[in-house]
Amino acid sequence: MRLHEFEAADIFESMGIPVARRGVASSVQEAVHVAGEIGYPVMLKAQVLVGSRGLAGGIKSASSPEELKAAAEQLLTSEVNGFPVRKILVAEKAEIAKELYVGVTVHGYTGRPVIVASTEGGMHIEETARTSPEKIASIQVDPTVGFYPYQARALLRKLGLGHNLLNAITDVIAQLYKVFTRFEALIVEINPLAVLPNGGLLAVDAVLEIDDSALSRLRPLLPDPVERVENPRERRGKEIGVTYVDLDGDIGLISSGAGLGMASMDIIAHTMKPANFLETGGGITADLLYKCMDLVMMKPGLRAILINVYGGINPIHEGAKGVVRYIREHNVRIPIVAKALGNHQEETWEIFRSGGIHVVIDPATERAVERLFELVGAE
Amino acid sequence: MGILVDNETRVIVQGITGRIGAVQTHWMLDYGTRVVGGVTPGKGGSTVEGLPVFDNVEQAVRETGATASVFFVPAPFVLDAFLETIDAGIKLIVVVPEHIPVNDVMKMRDYAVAKGVFALGPTTPGILVPGKSKIGIMPASLFAPGRVGIISRSGTLSYEFAGILSESHVGQSAVVGMGADPVVLTNLTDILRLFEEDPDTDGVIIVGEVGGEQEERAAGFVVEQMTKPVAAYICGRYSPPGKRMGHAGAIVRGSTGTVEGKQAALGWAGVEVLESPVHVAAWAKAHCLR
Repeated sequence: MRLHEFEAADIFESMGIPVARRGVASSVQEAVHVAGEIGYPVMLKAQVLVGSRGLAGGIKSASSPEELKAAAEQLLTSEVNGFPVRKILVAEKAEIAKELYVGVTVHGYTGRPVIVASTEGGMHIEETARTSPEKIASIQVDPTVGFYPYQARALLRKLGLGHNLLNAITDVIAQLYKVFTRFEALIVEINPLAVLPNGGLLAVDAVLEIDDSALSRLRPLLPDPVERVENPRERRGKEIGVTYVDLDGDIGLISSGAGLGMASMDIIAHTMKPANFLETGGGITADLLYKCMDLVMMKPGLRAILINVYGGINPIHEGAKGVVRYIREHNVRIPIVAKALGNHQEETWEIFRSGGIHVVIDPATERAVERLFELVGAE
Repeated sequence: MGILVDNETRVIVQGITGRIGAVQTHWMLDYGTRVVGGVTPGKGGSTVEGLPVFDNVEQAVRETGATASVFFVPAPFVLDAFLETIDAGIKLIVVVPEHIPVNDVMKMRDYAVAKGVFALGPTTPGILVPGKSKIGIMPASLFAPGRVGIISRSGTLSYEFAGILSESHVGQSAVVGMGADPVVLTNLTDILRLFEEDPDTDGVIIVGEVGGEQEERAAGFVVEQMTKPVAAYICGRYSPPGKRMGHAGAIVRGSTGTVEGKQAALGWAGVEVLESPVHVAAWAKAHCLR
């Protein structure tokens, strides 16, 4: 789960990281009020759960109430990278002498947390990583031993950052690492970490993405992960415990694994367009597949559905009962092709067939998609 | 022979008294796996499928002589059980559960590496050596004995590839699920090495997916150390970048981890890149693999 900047900033501040003065606004009047309390000039930042907001026009500045009203009005009626802006953060516009970058993420290959820092923070950090890798330094942390400040000092030395800033930045990195572990983050990031003319530090942005698998044990500390999902079908997917991603095609998909689901989409996309990605994980029951059918059918203009499931850990014969019950109760008329192999496969085929579903018993998804294409083309 | 397991490998099932643990124990015994007992704290003294259940792993190892373990333990308890299992001297651990926090997986990996334990997962279907043994949840009907090795990040796609090969009368020496999480307990390269060294494997298929750098690293290994033919399929070309697809590992970060990047790295390494799973049969035939 990715947090909004204003939510992450509160967490960072509560852990002792200096964060720019700020307030959240969902209307122009609120923005004027917040700016009045902070004092001009201010920054206005769209609160959308997507990266690179600055490059997409989601960040503006204002040095008077008139400028602020215009900027707030414009932001609150816009979309940033396809996400509608419902809230903006109004924050002090600090005078910045230098922009640094600090972040902690998980190194997938070594399986260790990695701390990353750069002397060139700001909007173009990814470009810097490509063009001037020497301006970025990183250090891995032993997950069992944990982080100690000497590691941050070694990191800063690589970047030539020292003297008066050494201890202050080390403190920020130490606190950021605490956020990383306490909130079970996949990524925490301050970009930019501003060096002020007086030598002080200020976090001007706050990024925090939490490991979804850890949400249940963090629950009391966090906002509701479901209600923040904008797309109603994706939100419904979270509610019933499946991964659903809305796409712009018209062929529905239910799969029992992420890899199988992605491969199914790739194969469907050779001749048609997937309407969604849906992956059940290992928890199939009759009730879950009933709900999955309901979810996939929420998509307007659906032309057909592919069900691609394996009976390894999943009782697919149970799942098939839910699908057929849904078809009967809702009188579903669009063609459905099912490929279902593994434990209880014969029983599963019988149940699917009893609901008028076209069963493909070849193990290649390609064959099931070909059958689907024939049926859609025949309409 | 096959890698990692054979029909002599003595296996315990952790979480054997749970619904899934009990069902999967049944399927494993049915396949011929030498399951010798189970562990569920608090249920010691009972039996499942006629097998003794113990309260702790050390006791189970002492009584049964087990050297391998498979987990059907609820995600929040996996870290604890995993450390216990390593301390009890088990040398091969298959971690089937999904949704284990990454923080826990990092600690598990660290401990396994330090203690020289080979572990698969999390979110793995396990390992199956056709006609010999299976440790995990792979559905037996799709597999056939032969000389092609499969390593897959996705569980269900490992079944798909085995199924397509078996249908074309090409068997498998072993099928290994390496796990679908952003951090896994054993990396792709380490499994590739086992197949390279295995006298019963003549060719290897890598089933990868968008995200991470496992396939790119494997390409380096293929160039430097592989002598056997390798084919690879990478799913996720159609997945929208940055959108979460159930595997955190499938998040596309910047230009690394893209399908195109992985295909290019593998192609450069001399690996046959398959555009669709169904093409694997022709590849196996072209290399006279059976």
